[in-house]
Amino acid sequence: MLRVEKINVSYGEFQVLHEVSIEVKSGETAIVVGPNGAGKTTLLRVISGLLKPTSGAIYFDGHRIDDKEPHEIVELGIALVPEGGRLFPYLTVYDNLKIGSFAKRARGGFRRTLEEIFELFPILKERRNQLAGSLSGGERQMLAIARSLMSQPKLIMLDEPSLGLAPRVVSRVFEFIGKIRSQGYSILMVEQNARKALELADHAYLLESGKLEFHGGREDFLRNPYIKKAYLGI
Amino acid sequence: MFEQIINAAINGILLGGVLALLAFGLNLIFGVVKIIHMAYGQFVMLGFYLIYVLTVQLHVPLIISSLIAICAMAVLGILTQLLVIEPLLDAPRLNQLLALAGLIIVFENLAMVIWGADYRGIPLYLPILHIGNFYIRFSCLIAFLGALMTLGLLYLFLHKTYIGLAIRATAQDVEIAKVMGVNSRLIYFVTLAAGGALTGIVAAFFTPIYTVHPHFGSSFTIMAFIIVVLGGMGNLLGGFISAFIIGIVTSVSAVLTTAEVADIIALLIFILVMLVRPQGILGVRGT
Repeated sequence: MLRVEKINVSYGEFQVLHEVSIEVKSGETAIVVGPNGAGKTTLLRVISGLLKPTSGAIYFDGHRIDDKEPHEIVELGIALVPEGGRLFPYLTVYDNLKIGSFAKRARGGFRRTLEEIFELFPILKERRNQLAGSLSGGERQMLAIARSLMSQPKLIMLDEPSLGLAPRVVSRVFEFIGKIRSQGYSILMVEQNARKALELADHAYLLESGKLEFHGGREDFLRNPYIKKAYLGI
Repeated sequence: MFEQIINAAINGILLGGVLALLAFGLNLIFGVVKIIHMAYGQFVMLGFYLIYVLTVQLHVPLIISSLIAICAMAVLGILTQLLVIEPLLDAPRLNQLLALAGLIIVFENLAMVIWGADYRGIPLYLPILHIGNFYIRFSCLIAFLGALMTLGLLYLFLHKTYIGLAIRATAQDVEIAKVMGVNSRLIYFVTLAAGGALTGIVAAFFTPIYTVHPHFGSSFTIMAFIIVVLGGMGNLLGGFISAFIIGIVTSVSAVLTTAEVADIIALLIFILVMLVRPQGILGVRGT
């Protein structure tokens, strides 16, 4: 479904990603694990079209997307849940969800998708007329996930969904991600909380200093002695 | 004396409505494109001249020439975005300011070359309403009501349509708006077109009140800018409130002193508010 082929990405002189290749198959969940500054967020920004790679190619559903604009990529069915949620704080919960369905492919089904979302996240229905900025940390993250679902995506990319949340809230957020996964969406998640994230993963990648150091199925990943020691604390 | 002051305050409120419209446009452009449209008042001046030419020289009915001017100013807004703002979107702020300030010179001298320095007006005699000891110019009342109606329509546009929602989202976080599927380039063009159309509407309301000359716009650029900053940049409600404050202050102090001193008083109030509340009356908020 999504294939990233040997991309190189630089911010000015500074190269952030080196020859990175990953793949997310339809219906699968892939996790990218790595320390701060490894280039995880950059990887998602490049796939969303916010940043252009200097070389390499990205394919999604048979389309080459690395030269496309972000709004064209959304139309193909990729949604991003950015780090920290990045809601529109002065828009209501309802308007945040509505802008989530801005893509032409999603607009027609706005009402129906909204009903589904409200069933999945009843708290958002209660708070629909509140400004998004007034929500708690956990509610914000859920609204950010809900907003991405409004575009009726095929692939959802999540950037550090557990960042800055209390442990109890983190469990709830991962529970929701698990629910979404079971509905058949493909997921690409970038996460520092490796142990939690790996519970959901079909496939995992280790990204360090902009290079892919290891990748494999969940079991291979969990058995790797270096990953065990450095990321899982076992 | 007291009646005169009340009368001036009424005129100030009526004028404030039109100023609110002008400030709204400037604010919208700043909020969405993050650029200060220095030549905004000059758009009004060009719109006014266009209506003058169409109505007085070509004998087109005033309503039609106003509509033409509104469309023409929207197109001018789009051209400004295409030729001046877009190439400088990532340039330093100062370069953007200077480029747009350059437009002032271009527009004013263009007007000077075409129409000369004479004051030109559209002969239009509207009645003055007398209510007790107070009088209200009918032209000001129309401008006021028209401005409020336009603001109402703008509110509906921003809050009830997908494109309006996209404009508000872009104002808050352009990057995330993009990954929601919003074509930000298109939104910038829509914003400049709407801002341009607003100057055409303001020009139409001004035609029965003022006469136009090449420097007609400069005082309105300053006025709109003061209102926007006073209300809090990017805050549409703050701009609305401060438009009426500035309108009332200038008209009342013009009665108590002279028109020149009135401007000084308005600017003094502006400076004082900036010293106490640099973020403006309502601070910076989204639309």
